[in-house]
Amino acid sequence: MLRAQGLVKRFGAQTALDGFGLTVAPGEIVGLIGHNGAGKTTFVEIAAGLVRPDAGTVEIAGFDVRRHPGAARARLGLAPQQLALYPTATVRDNLAVFGGLAGLRRRALRDAIAEVAAATQVEPLLGRRVGPLSGGQQRRVQTASALLHRPAVLLLDEPTVGADPDTRQALLSVVRDRAAAGTAICYTTHYLPELADLGASLAVVAAGRVIARGEQDELLAALPGEIRLGFADGTERRVPSRHPADDLPGLLAGLPPLSTVDIRRPSLDDLYHSLRREVRDAA
Amino acid sequence: MPLDTQRIGVLLRHNLILVGRDPGHLIAYIVMPMVLMLLEAPLYRAAMRGSLGTTQVVTGMLVMFSLLALSIVGYAVLTERTWQTWDRLRATPAAPLELLIGKAGTILAVLVAQQAALLGFGARVLGLRVPGAKAMGLLCLAVLCWGVTLLAGGSALGLAVRSPGQLSAISDIAGLVLTGLGGALAPLSAMPGWARVAAPVSPGYWAMAALRAALSGDTVGTLRAVGVLLALAGVAAGYACWRVSRTRTRL
Repeated sequence: MLRAQGLVKRFGAQTALDGFGLTVAPGEIVGLIGHNGAGKTTFVEIAAGLVRPDAGTVEIAGFDVRRHPGAARARLGLAPQQLALYPTATVRDNLAVFGGLAGLRRRALRDAIAEVAAATQVEPLLGRRVGPLSGGQQRRVQTASALLHRPAVLLLDEPTVGADPDTRQALLSVVRDRAAAGTAICYTTHYLPELADLGASLAVVAAGRVIARGEQDELLAALPGEIRLGFADGTERRVPSRHPADDLPGLLAGLPPLSTVDIRRPSLDDLYHSLRREVRDAA
Repeated sequence: MPLDTQRIGVLLRHNLILVGRDPGHLIAYIVMPMVLMLLEAPLYRAAMRGSLGTTQVVTGMLVMFSLLALSIVGYAVLTERTWQTWDRLRATPAAPLELLIGKAGTILAVLVAQQAALLGFGARVLGLRVPGAKAMGLLCLAVLCWGVTLLAGGSALGLAVRSPGQLSAISDIAGLVLTGLGGALAPLSAMPGWARVAAPVSPGYWAMAALRAALSGDTVGTLRAVGVLLALAGVAAGYACWRVSRTRTRL
């Protein structure tokens, strides 16, 4: 389990986190979404023990990151936003160093490398240097390096940036498998359809704190959908509606001839923009 | 928390792989001084008394090219920053001291190996004399402490610069200036008065002093020079630690 409570972090005059709190249960995938600078990466850095918070705590599988850093990190897998691999070393060497530092030795290390290489489809690349690999291949190697020791908590910070559709699907499949095996996964992304694919619950971050948290359906239910009416003369009218099926008959009465009628359910993008507007208005 | 020797072993092995994958600088800094020693030895022997000339050319080239090897240390540190791997290592269960030992141990071994290769070449090919076990012991001490000084200086440099180009420029210029000022290119007695006065500010001066004293079996002279080198290493290491505490690569 990952548990963050009351995190505050300031960089000079800028407040990156302002009372950030988040809990991710074993087997749960939480999609952390928010605009650039909302505080997502600062949270990841604090959870990984790289940045010290001004206030608040983070626990990884019950171990406080500051008081028991070794135990906490041993249970954590981190795939940061930026590619962070040794380009002059082979894929196998890269996996070996991160697996070795996580405590895997000899046979266990070899088996773990074979397992994650198969899962992330980097098996054919094991003997090749990382530098010349494509961005998508490097991204898979980076994710593989975070999975080696079967951590209790996975922090994946935009793991599919720059990945092609095949790579993206492969990575999402690995994430789903790990969650099914009981790993608590915090998944940061700007690409919201991925979260729908993963069936992730959501934590929306703005101004350094989580402003909305819940299952996708719960959060989306609070938003209006939209009825789009296309007229025969080529014009269009959009009507927000929480209950399109009920509202539609009344809307259609007395209208000029229609060519199309679309009912659009609210999307994660709508949710995100709606919450951002709320934060902006409140500010 | 006790140090985990297995994790340190993983890091040493990994850093050895990194050096082995890109050995260009190291090979250059071993081959070039050997060539220069061969070419310059007759000149130095003629200008100084025979064995003194040999000592001057071997220790001089050693100090010059080990100072230029600051760039090897600097690159090793700089690349961990530019590749963003340093923070990934920090996010593993490895303690900071284990990371430091794993990184520094390999580089120190490389620096010592470079010096050992040059001294071995000087002894085998140019007839450099190491008179007895005591001198050999002092020489090992001098080489090790000079390696530690270079390691600390190179780490400080690698943490201070922002790009490989900057690192290259600073290490080349500083390497040559400190080499010249330290009396590695020409004996101090042949240098201008102002240079003789300024010479002790150069770590190269103390490296030359330590190596020369060791080769003549002078324990006090070796320890004195080695003490100064370690003090300089302490200052550089302190600066490096200060930079580390302020360096935050964005993940």
